[in-house]
Amino acid sequence: MIAALLVATLAAPAIFLAACFVGKWRERALAWQFLAPAPGLAAGIFGLSHAPVAVDFPGLGLSLTLDPPGALLLAFAALLWMAVTAALWRDRAPGARFGISWLLTMFGGLGVFVAGDLVSFYLVYALVSLPAYGLFAFSEDPEKRRAGAIYLAFALLGEALLLLAFALLAAGEPHGSARIADVMAALPASPWRDAALALIVAGFGMKIGLIPFNGWMPLNYAAAPIPAAAVLSGAGVKAGVIGLIRFLPLGVPMEGWGEALAALGFLTAFYGVAIGLAQRTPKTILAYSSISQMGVIAAALGLGLARGDTGAAGDMAFYGANHLLVKSALFLTIGAVASAGRLSRRSLVLAAALALSLAGLPLTGGALAKLASKAQFASGMPALLATLASIASAMLMTHFLIHLTEMSGEAAEDARRETPAVLIRFWPALALGALLLPWFFADAPGEALSLGKIWDGFWPVAVGVAAALGWRRSGLAAPKIPAGDSIVLYERGFARMMALGPVFETADARLRQWPAAAASLLLIVLALLAAASI
Amino acid sequence: MNPSLLAGLVGAALVGLGLYGLIAHPHPLRKLLAFNLVGSGVFLVFGVVARRGAAAGYAFDPVPQAMVITGIVVAFAASALAVALILRLAVAGGDVSLDPQASGRRDDGEAE
Amino acid sequence: MIAQPATTPGGFLLVLAVLLPAAGTLFSFALGSRAAEKIALGLTPVGFFLACLVAMKVAAAGAPIAYAIGGLPPPLGIALRADGVSAVMMVTASIIVAAAAFYARAKFATPDGVEESRGALTFWIMIQAIWAALNLIFVGGDLFNLYVALELLTFAAVPLVCIDGRPETLAAALRYLLFALFGSVSYLLGVALLYGLYGTLDISLLAQRVGAAPMVWTAAALMTAGLLAKTALFPLHLWLPPAHANAPAAASAVLSGLVVKGSFFLALRLWFYVLPALPTAAPGAVLGALGALAVIFGSVLALRQARLKLLVAYSTVAQIGYLFFVFPLAAGAHVWSPLGWSGGVMQILAHAFAKAAMFLAAGLVAEALGHDRIAGFRGAARALPLTFLTLGLGGLSLMGLPPTGGFEAKWLMLRAAAASGQWIWSLPILGGGLLAGGYVYRILAPALADGEAAIQARPERSREAIALGLAVIALALAFAPQGFFDFLEIGRPFASGSAP
Repeated sequence: MIAALLVATLAAPAIFLAACFVGKWRERALAWQFLAPAPGLAAGIFGLSHAPVAVDFPGLGLSLTLDPPGALLLAFAALLWMAVTAALWRDRAPGARFGISWLLTMFGGLGVFVAGDLVSFYLVYALVSLPAYGLFAFSEDPEKRRAGAIYLAFALLGEALLLLAFALLAAGEPHGSARIADVMAALPASPWRDAALALIVAGFGMKIGLIPFNGWMPLNYAAAPIPAAAVLSGAGVKAGVIGLIRFLPLGVPMEGWGEALAALGFLTAFYGVAIGLAQRTPKTILAYSSISQMGVIAAALGLGLARGDTGAAGDMAFYGANHLLVKSALFLTIGAVASAGRLSRRSLVLAAALALSLAGLPLTGGALAKLASKAQFASGMPALLATLASIASAMLMTHFLIHLTEMSGEAAEDARRETPAVLIRFWPALALGALLLPWFFADAPGEALSLGKIWDGFWPVAVGVAAALGWRRSGLAAPKIPAGDSIVLYERGFARMMALGPVFETADARLRQWPAAAASLLLIVLALLAAASI
Repeated sequence: MNPSLLAGLVGAALVGLGLYGLIAHPHPLRKLLAFNLVGSGVFLVFGVVARRGAAAGYAFDPVPQAMVITGIVVAFAASALAVALILRLAVAGGDVSLDPQASGRRDDGEAE
Repeated sequence: MIAQPATTPGGFLLVLAVLLPAAGTLFSFALGSRAAEKIALGLTPVGFFLACLVAMKVAAAGAPIAYAIGGLPPPLGIALRADGVSAVMMVTASIIVAAAAFYARAKFATPDGVEESRGALTFWIMIQAIWAALNLIFVGGDLFNLYVALELLTFAAVPLVCIDGRPETLAAALRYLLFALFGSVSYLLGVALLYGLYGTLDISLLAQRVGAAPMVWTAAALMTAGLLAKTALFPLHLWLPPAHANAPAAASAVLSGLVVKGSFFLALRLWFYVLPALPTAAPGAVLGALGALAVIFGSVLALRQARLKLLVAYSTVAQIGYLFFVFPLAAGAHVWSPLGWSGGVMQILAHAFAKAAMFLAAGLVAEALGHDRIAGFRGAARALPLTFLTLGLGGLSLMGLPPTGGFEAKWLMLRAAAASGQWIWSLPILGGGLLAGGYVYRILAPALADGEAAIQARPERSREAIALGLAVIALALAFAPQGFFDFLEIGRPFASGSAP
């Protein structure tokens, strides 16, 4: 049963994809692709209540796996994909180029949660990263093209780092198995442990926007149409989270690596808020909030790694799942607000609850997520930093709400145009769902309802909101920081590197002249001789 | 000086001359002659090899002779092909030179 | 290597595989271009069938199959031998030759009412001659015999470059020929030295006799340098970009996909079959370093080309570089050697199929748009979806993204690099992938963007399908089962029997 569901999780999008290659089926396949995540949803729900399973297909070298952390993220991601896809294709029929990019991204975005061996994981990870380019970058707008090129550059760099990491993981496994479970079991004793870990953190760090690899995310979300931004920020980024969960050796205490990752995570959490507060477009602010939230996840995983706590995997999967729902709902909120023009008081409360859920507002799913992270941020410095992160998040989300309500002109027009009408009509239901759904999946929801916990959750949010409002009242202007912050430096460096191109061209032209090539021929003979006689 | 040594030295000299031609002269006809010089030098080395009778038991090994004859045929065919190309190039009005500047320009021509 | 019987059952298949296209060449010459086309096209399925038979025989025997010509065993006679890699290369060659031949029908058919067409005659003769020479290279067991095969290959490839007779293609062909000739004499000198030392040129006999003498190294260095000149390994690539970019697309596909692999195959034979017992780590590192330079230079130059065919040609310079990582990564009899070996052979195959597909597709693009300037590609993917799908799939393989043969090759090489502690090779492997990402992006991003490309002539569906078929094979290589890699180990000295 579970094996069949696992296979269907990947097979369903694959079948829709195959149908796209037949001209007369393409349109229908794309229109009905919202059904493709259905087996994944079923598998996710099934897997939540069952022991971890692994299904191997030795002939294909393929292995699928489902454990509770993966199942939770899979279920939520599948739900999100289904809802947004159905709405998008009900309202308008995007072209084949967009549709196939969407389907490929969905394929990868579901597959990462069930891939059980290195090669399959690498494949689906590439799918969730690269085709997303087609969701936003084919445009006349040079800013969108720039965002696309930067996105691809980071995605490819991340792929390259991970490929090397996986090669080291595979080399460290003495029996030649490529199953993730086996290579991770062998990692702590592997001679390439440190190099592999560094590459894993860097590779997946690019996907979740850890500094200094965060710059692509704001550009991407600002360039993507709202439905695409919703699934990319919600489901897409979680590929990086599941990557860290799968490829950090959480069961074995590694203090150095754990603490380094935690430090990087906290740094990212605060950095994201700081830069986000200087932004003015709601989409960009949400992107920085994602960077900050992913920093919190990285910090918690780092602390779990330091203590050898396998529980961090499940906790952070829950934290990530909550972020998946809330962040995508927040993107849709931009569309809803833009269409409504002015928010009714009730809608404003709902939007505020949604936004502050990310800061752990009591009674929202965010409170549960915060509770789930408590095991990692139990005491001492981490606890303090986590509380500060909550306050910072509340500030940033208040900043977001302010700019959301003040949105006007072209930005509002774009947001209205991009968001399918169905999603706008059902926005309150979606928002409520995003707030409440986590309650059904939490380990101990009752705990979050105790007065003590409610107070613990409430005061940082209140402080954050007050600080943000006070700051606004004070009239102090934030420094102007371009969206993507550090990316500007990278672009400059890249331009410098591109300026080297003519140098290569000149060298090539010289080397391709007869005398040079003929001399090279003789030199190669001599070099081989010299090497052989060493 | 025994014949083997003489053949070897002459062979080496021919190869050396040919290598100079390989590097120095831009005109393809010169290159072709240089190739033939190197080739002749190599054939002489084969002669030395035959003379020494490397294959166990033969005073004079006939196998390298066969190889040299084959090699000469191959080199002849190569020369013929190259000369044909040079002629075609001259007739077609192209610059009969391996001068890199000219060829560098050619690379940017249109496809097909 | 264990001494093998002179002729094994099925050995005559090797003779057939060489003689069939050779006979086709002669008959085509005698009967004219119209018949040549029919002969060449008719031979392709037969040749494919023969190659598959050879592969089956090798697989069934679990050992190389061999044929002693004239019943005379080495050292006096000449042996043909096919091991796992030979068989795989023969099948590959037959598929790519067939694809190029059927693709070329539109361009090289002899029109009705025309008695004779020189371009067509040249194409159909030379493609069969290339095929015969390649098969001889793949099964040749004697280094001098292989020299002749290598020369045949060059002589057949050169006319394909200048088939249209334009001055620039003639110049490109001349450069190719002359440089290749110096490569051949270098190889021949090495052969003479080896014969002088050991009195045989039979590969398996030599492998038993060679020792690490200075003269052996001299011979190896001369032979290798000669082969590198013909393989166009950086910095000996002066002839490749103009030759491959200016030849007709079908010819470019064969030249880039197969012909450069012929001389590379001999380099493999030399280092892994003749000299496997010697300490080859240091020369292997030199070859790997040249490969790394080729990857970086070729990729950067590909990034900077304005024309699609030149871009694809420079990408060949880069991809040839990857092949040379096999020397450091598969040397000796270590646990990781089979990984490196599999990776190297996989790179040959993946590049052969992907690059042939891309050249065929590039030809279609040039025909449809009337030019192949990348700057003029806006919206072209909408007009030519199958062709750009082919370019995209081929590009995926060049970038080493899954699921493609190119990925499989890099994955195996990286694992070998990690397991052998030679992590340094992972840098060019990954860096080249990133640069490949850059130049594939340069082709695809404008083509996929909005816009209306002016199509002058719609390419035939069948030709688009041929190119796409090759790209799909490059993709399918990613799913090669373990048995395939075991097959590649058949007949390799030091093969441990347990591949990755």
